[in-house]
Amino acid sequence: MVNPVLLIAIPLGLAFIVPLIAFVSRRLVKFVPVAGMIFNLVISISLLPSALREPVVISIGGFPPPLCINLVAGPLALLFTSLIALVGLFVSVYALSYIKTGAIEKYHILYLLLLTGATGAVLTGDIFNLFVFYEILCISSYALVAYLGDKNGTEAAIKYLIQGSVASGLILLGIAFVYGLFGTLNMAQIAQNINASNMSPALFTALVLLVTGFGVEAAVFPLNAWLPDAHSSAPSSISAVLSGIAIKIGVYAVARVVFTIFGASSMFMLLVILGLVTLLIGEMSAFSQDNIKRMLAYSSVGQIGLIVFAFGLATIHGISGGLFIVISHALAKSVLFLTAGYMIYRAGSMDISALEGMGRRMPATCLAFTIGVFSLVGLPPFAGFPGKFMVVRAALERQEIIFIVLIAIVLAGTVIEGAYFFRVVQALYFKGDRVREHAGKAEAPFIALVPVYVFVILVLFLGLCPHAATSVLDAAAAELLERLAYIKGVLG
Amino acid sequence: MNLQILLIIAFGGALATYALAKISSVLRNLCAVLASGLLVVLIGGMYGSDAAGAWLPSFLGLPLVLQMNSLSWLFAITISIIGFLSIIFSISYIKGKESTDFYFLMMLIVTAGMLGVVLSGDLISFYIFWEIMSWSTFLLISYNKGAALAAAMKYIIMSIAGSVLMLMGMLTIYTSCGSVVLTEIAGSAAGMSTGEAILLLIVFSVAFGIKNAAFPLHTWLPGAHAEAPAPFSAVLSGVLIKVGTYGFILFIYVIGGGKFIFSLGAGGINVRFILCVLAAVTILVPSFIAVLQDDAKRLLAWSSIAQAGYILLGIMFGTTLGFTGGVLHFVNHALFKALLFFAVGAVEYRTGTRDLNSLGGLIKKMPMTFAVLLVGVCGLIGVPVTNGFVSKWLIYKTLILEQSPFLAFVALLGTWGTILYSYKLIHNIFFGQLPQEHRNIKEVPVTMRVPMIALSVAVVLFGVMPGIPLKAVNAVAHFAGAGALDVNLWGVVSETGTVNLMNILAGILAVGIIVWIVFKAGAGSVPVSQEDNYAAGAAVPAGKYTYTVDFYSSLTRIIRPFLRDVMDEFYFWCAGRIKALCAGARRIYTGDVGNYVVYIVIFAALLVILQIWRSPW
Repeated sequence: MVNPVLLIAIPLGLAFIVPLIAFVSRRLVKFVPVAGMIFNLVISISLLPSALREPVVISIGGFPPPLCINLVAGPLALLFTSLIALVGLFVSVYALSYIKTGAIEKYHILYLLLLTGATGAVLTGDIFNLFVFYEILCISSYALVAYLGDKNGTEAAIKYLIQGSVASGLILLGIAFVYGLFGTLNMAQIAQNINASNMSPALFTALVLLVTGFGVEAAVFPLNAWLPDAHSSAPSSISAVLSGIAIKIGVYAVARVVFTIFGASSMFMLLVILGLVTLLIGEMSAFSQDNIKRMLAYSSVGQIGLIVFAFGLATIHGISGGLFIVISHALAKSVLFLTAGYMIYRAGSMDISALEGMGRRMPATCLAFTIGVFSLVGLPPFAGFPGKFMVVRAALERQEIIFIVLIAIVLAGTVIEGAYFFRVVQALYFKGDRVREHAGKAEAPFIALVPVYVFVILVLFLGLCPHAATSVLDAAAAELLERLAYIKGVLG
Repeated sequence: MNLQILLIIAFGGALATYALAKISSVLRNLCAVLASGLLVVLIGGMYGSDAAGAWLPSFLGLPLVLQMNSLSWLFAITISIIGFLSIIFSISYIKGKESTDFYFLMMLIVTAGMLGVVLSGDLISFYIFWEIMSWSTFLLISYNKGAALAAAMKYIIMSIAGSVLMLMGMLTIYTSCGSVVLTEIAGSAAGMSTGEAILLLIVFSVAFGIKNAAFPLHTWLPGAHAEAPAPFSAVLSGVLIKVGTYGFILFIYVIGGGKFIFSLGAGGINVRFILCVLAAVTILVPSFIAVLQDDAKRLLAWSSIAQAGYILLGIMFGTTLGFTGGVLHFVNHALFKALLFFAVGAVEYRTGTRDLNSLGGLIKKMPMTFAVLLVGVCGLIGVPVTNGFVSKWLIYKTLILEQSPFLAFVALLGTWGTILYSYKLIHNIFFGQLPQEHRNIKEVPVTMRVPMIALSVAVVLFGVMPGIPLKAVNAVAHFAGAGALDVNLWGVVSETGTVNLMNILAGILAVGIIVWIVFKAGAGSVPVSQEDNYAAGAAVPAGKYTYTVDFYSSLTRIIRPFLRDVMDEFYFWCAGRIKALCAGARRIYTGDVGNYVVYIVIFAALLVILQIWRSPW
């Protein structure tokens, strides 16, 4: 069997080889992430069947934990690594034509590091190692947000950096508490020591610090103020990865801490409330945006809220619904950011009013954008619908009045989402008789449309055949819910 | 036959049409007509069949099935016929406009979506097709740009609000019954607790009420119908809003297990009574708002709301006679309202306007359009020997027999309003002076005439021989558990009153012949110019004297202050509040990173403090 450590080692190694390759031929550099991600995608998918039977646990260096760091490639981790590799691969294909100016080698180095960090964070079974990979992810994101070097980008990156650093400080403090209490950093061993029903104040403080720290990257309200600036100022390919993957790693980390390490069932209701508030604030803020990328960024906040809400339901159906939205949102939001990238490029402005009439100039791009929008709003037959369906079903299955009320509020958020997204669709197709009618067609380049349409096809496929993903999702949800099985699987 | 074929033809035909459009527009038209025509033939051939089958393996472990029964068949055949005729009508209507390929694609997808809804054998399929229908409708309403955009936004927001409620309702049924297949959950509402049944009733009534444009959820309809392209208005008004009616029948009669839902309630006020009153309001107010309209299509749109009210009133009454009348009125309304929208569309196609104040005198220029509009208007009013008469007669009969004098009075008042606005419509377009700029217009092309003639023949045929549709309607009533009437080809036989259209037709023919003879016997008429006619021979400057402006002015002056669309104003007020709230929410993100860090610290601190204080965790 393939060693899951390769999933981290290969992109990390490639990241450091990039300058050498640039030395040989600068034109080759941009193909390096493509190669790395193809490799990761193949490995992740080939590991999935065995991981579904039992998690693949690798101890680095051959020592038993707590002496070594171990990797736990369970269904949840491999689901995420596959998604990271998939989105990473096609976004890097898009970048072949999209990223033309600036420090190109540095872009590709940082891009690979970002994906390495994301992959490592979900694979590791060690909480300090999780922190390290999380930092790799964050630091490369800070740099990439400022990639364009303009005022907005730099300002957004510095704000992101400041908030991210505060978050890192909190996480480190939290890890220190835990280490002080139990003398181990291995997640399974920590989990073994924790009895959620009787938590000491120190332990509870650790939990709060970890949740808050990871919550910043997960973009949970009120910790998400960095997101709209960062996601809208980054180059569109990076926005796609940040929205599609990076914030999901934050959600993963929060879920890992709450579900697996602490087993803190009393926090679930907090997650539900946080998710609900995040959803409403995100959708409401998106509603009054005129800038397309900021609108998409706030919409990501809304979707994260829905995912956190679903996780908070803490049932198999709820969590697998949340994970389904993780996938469908990653695909749809990538489509939206990638297509918006070229639309903005052609229009020369991020204002929605500047995009009027684009449907005639860039028909294929706008069609993809529209499908992405339909999917996010949760209309069948696109991938957003099964996700929304699963979450609503899970909430109603709780058979409690409070959940009926809460899910009704969640769905009200969906109505707001529909309102602002459909406005954009109208602007693309049905407005702007006067605007640049004579400018003629200006479709995005073919190489950029390929990844967009791969995502569109996946969105359609998952919308019609959601059961293709459910076996993996249910296993991943079970991994989070069944804490004892995880501990047993890792420690033997 | 396999029901999947219908879906494949409907959706495949749409995609094939779009693909062929890239080659030539003739091929595109041919493909669209063939695909929609084939659907009519295939569905027609399924009359009386009872089939079911999966169309996709499964959806998250739930079955996705299609079914055909008498209820589905009646709706499916109506949808496919109206869809087919409006495609034919579109060929000339849409020629020369932009994005015509997109238009045909969406027309076919809307029809396919509607067929999917009525053929769904489970709630999930129902929802999927329902949403496909909704978003494609949104795109089609937006097609005309300009004022259509706001109308489309209003439509889609209300539609999403309705459909999320519907999703909740469906999943509530699923969690309590463990199934979504209609045949398995039929009658299941009777086993639910009262609270659950009321919750379901509310969410489904809102969801279907929005689509059906029942008061107080009708506000999207006037704008959407008026601004959509005319052939699509015909589909929208003729069948699309009736998919909401289908939903009502499905929920109340099939899932609700006959009359269980109606009996909910306390102290003399039960659900049936509330729904009937709402239907009555839906008849009364829109009928008179229609009188005030100066836009021909907006007038018809308000009329559609009112007529949908008659349908609901009949169905909500729940007696055999009422249910049959309601469902029959659905079929009739689809025919004459599509006809009316076609005719108004034809006028708009030639004159470029649908403003009733600036039209007039077209009777000589477009005699055929006049004739079909007249037939349509007669159907709408319910003049004997047109189809509207039979269904309205059944509904009135129900109201009188069941001793609901107030409802009967409202229904009659509604008809009075109907007569007023119908006359305004036909008068302001075809009578009076012909404006100078319309001197040179011609009758519409043949592809627009054919669907209009076909529909007016059907309106008269179903008026003279109501037995044809009543047979199918009877099967529906039987299926829904509302009993069946004793019908023959010429009318309805019952002990409380028989209607036989054969006698009425004979009477009308006899009177007609007498009138004709009397006129022939009198002096021959002398044609004079219109100005002479109105000004009694005095010289009038041409084009200055327009007889059609501000029609019914004294009536409208009296009733206008009472006929505000308060619900629309209320929704706008709510939307304004929500917008302000959204703008406020955005201010949380101040732009100052110092604040943001404080948020993070406060969040962590708050959790710890809460734990110390109340220990919720």
